[in-house]
Amino acid sequence: MSENKNPEVLLKVENLKKHFTPHMGLAASLGKARKVVKAVDGISFDIKKGEIFALIGESGSGKTTTGKLVMKLIEPTSGTMIFDGEDVTSIAKKQLEAYRRKVQMIFQDPYASMNPRFKIRDVLEEPLSIHRIEGDRARHDEMIVKALEEVKITPPEEFMTRFPHMLSGGQRQRVATARTLILNPKMLVADEPVSMIDLSTRAEILHMMKDVQRDLGLTYLYITHDLSTARYFADRIAVMYLGRIVEMGPADMIIDKPLHPYTKALIDAVPEPESGKVDVIKELPISGEIPSPANIPAGCRFHTRCPYATDECKTLPEPELEDIGGGHMHACRRWKEI
Amino acid sequence: MNLKDFLAGLSDFWSEFRRDKAGLIGLAILVVAILAIIFEPVIVPFKEVNSKWRDINYWEDNSSGAPPAWTNAFSSEKKAVTTSLDRPRKEEIEGDGVSIRRYEFDYSYRYDQPPLDVIFRAEGWGTFPILVSVERPDGQVIDLYQYVAEGLDGDDLRVTLANDSKSAAYQFLAVNASEADMANYDSYSVKPMVIMFSEASPSMATAPVALTGKYKFIVQTMVMSEDVRIDNAHFTVVGSVSGILGSDTGKRDLFSGLLAGLKWALLIGFVTSFISVLLGVLYGIISAYFGGAIDSTMNFIYELFVSMPVLPILIVISAVFKPSIWFIIAALVVFSWTGPVKTVRSMAMQIKEETYIEAARALGAGKWRIIFKHMLPLLIPYSFASMALSVPGAILYEASVSLLGLGDATITTWGQILHDALSSGAVLNGLWWWVVPPGFSIAIMGMSFAFIGSAMDKILHPKLRTR
Repeated sequence: MSENKNPEVLLKVENLKKHFTPHMGLAASLGKARKVVKAVDGISFDIKKGEIFALIGESGSGKTTTGKLVMKLIEPTSGTMIFDGEDVTSIAKKQLEAYRRKVQMIFQDPYASMNPRFKIRDVLEEPLSIHRIEGDRARHDEMIVKALEEVKITPPEEFMTRFPHMLSGGQRQRVATARTLILNPKMLVADEPVSMIDLSTRAEILHMMKDVQRDLGLTYLYITHDLSTARYFADRIAVMYLGRIVEMGPADMIIDKPLHPYTKALIDAVPEPESGKVDVIKELPISGEIPSPANIPAGCRFHTRCPYATDECKTLPEPELEDIGGGHMHACRRWKEI
Repeated sequence: MNLKDFLAGLSDFWSEFRRDKAGLIGLAILVVAILAIIFEPVIVPFKEVNSKWRDINYWEDNSSGAPPAWTNAFSSEKKAVTTSLDRPRKEEIEGDGVSIRRYEFDYSYRYDQPPLDVIFRAEGWGTFPILVSVERPDGQVIDLYQYVAEGLDGDDLRVTLANDSKSAAYQFLAVNASEADMANYDSYSVKPMVIMFSEASPSMATAPVALTGKYKFIVQTMVMSEDVRIDNAHFTVVGSVSGILGSDTGKRDLFSGLLAGLKWALLIGFVTSFISVLLGVLYGIISAYFGGAIDSTMNFIYELFVSMPVLPILIVISAVFKPSIWFIIAALVVFSWTGPVKTVRSMAMQIKEETYIEAARALGAGKWRIIFKHMLPLLIPYSFASMALSVPGAILYEASVSLLGLGDATITTWGQILHDALSSGAVLNGLWWWVVPPGFSIAIMGMSFAFIGSAMDKILHPKLRTR
């Protein structure tokens, strides 16, 4: 699975870690050792060109932090990131600018991701002026119109003079997508792009994103907590728990034949809108909240909530990802028994 | 943002603003003040007040320490008001080679107490005789004073009738008053003004009765050569009440001084608050945006400035450097930029965490772009309110420094008028018109900005709304 064997790999992440050290007063820091929050604790994955790669997990699993690391909005503690054959783990300002043109992000909250004082035109022109894209106002307008048409905002000229608050959530997310597309990126990081949008328009937005992906040959890193959209949308899925990937593989395999008890629990938790089943509250095999990333359990980090955990799980070192064929990987030592 | 949006925003703001009564009062005062500054050249009684405030000669024809003219309304005995007569009727009577030039000045006298003095003033060229006389309402003409001006070259011609017409007045008195009364008088103790403006009767020396009506002051001169010229001939009737706000003991017209000080008060207020709020807002944003060690260092510097006592330092600076007004403004800026820092910093911390800031960073926006394009525009409304609120402080500080006699000596400020009043004992001598108006002006100007500022604050900072 290394990049040499597979030239199609666009982004290769290896053993990436992000540990936060919380700020402490002088007096407090004298007494005790600082608690390190291990938001991302050593993850590795590849994203192939033209693929939609979904990162799934509960809140606090580190999936958004991973997205920010990929976006280079925060610096990793350790590990490497190779994008398009180039090591981008720590790059200079000049290269970062070039990287930003290639990798763009769609944020979760379409209501907050645009400056309320900017008109749609200004929102879309900002990337052009940041990256000093040649062209006068008319040329920029052309590019903006094209980007808006790409995301099915019609008529674009009419929307350009509006403010974000005059748009619906779906329209805003389309505009946010247009903003990322205007620079012709290679990869988009979409951080729960539909979680704050009305259910009725979610599918449309995902359709639009998929159309755009097909038209422009984009690669997506799709971050979500919602398995149902991930199955529909993604080619491959990685499940994160407490800063680690616990299972990874083709979307259908993960959903249909989950191996890790955490993945199973996530799938069981999806409500099924079928007649007769609506009122049934499922009995979840796991309980409790995700532990604090500042205090990660020893052994397998899932053992505190795992119904199958044995003493072995608590004492032996954490299991690594294991490939069982077909690109399906998991990190559970009891997968055969359960 | 184009003009249309700006106007729409402005009209929204206005519709909210005008619901705040205090804000409207403040705005009205400010508008009046600005109009007063614009029309200062028209309304100011002494046109050269700005350049001649400290020139004793400029003020020598004015009354000294006179209360405002309107105090007549509250006293039973009306006092003559200081008036300038500067529109003479000019007449030239041609003779052979010699002509007689005649200036007539009308003065309508309707008071109980005669003026303190009547002064003739002109600029003259050449050598000529001059005769000053008065025609009274009762038809009597008194030749008050005559002399020969010699070899003038644009020099001032000045006749103060209170001194120069003593002998003429004595003679007039001697003709009319009873002999018994005249025994007490000589030509030195006689009061020409009282005689000139009283009815001619035997008792006029002891119990003068004011003769009201139309007086005519006549100046005649004989023009014997081509180079004789008289320009700018005018009379000043020096009353014991004067002007809209009276005069100080230096004979300066206080209304003119107050008007001259208004623009400096506004200038000091505006410039100081504008620069210092701008600096403070930028400082707060930068401190919040960068955070960490930069934030801590900037906070430390901020604390240093905040804990410095402004007034004592200003006083020392002013005493040592004898500063100009610009230096004082600069010094005020140095100490007052701290005003908005804390609020702006906390607001900017909040804005910094907004998703659209992160989105801008993800797009590749640099830190200055984020600060100036994304953060600053959101803080502009607050900045305006903060500017309005910091104007009174600046005005007061300048007044305090000036009050101590340490202000810029080339301009007129309210603080300096107060300083002069204090050092001349105006308070002890009851010259309230010298102390109250400048003090009041400072208070009102400060108040108007405080009103405007708090109204803006309420609108732009909705958390402060009491509604």
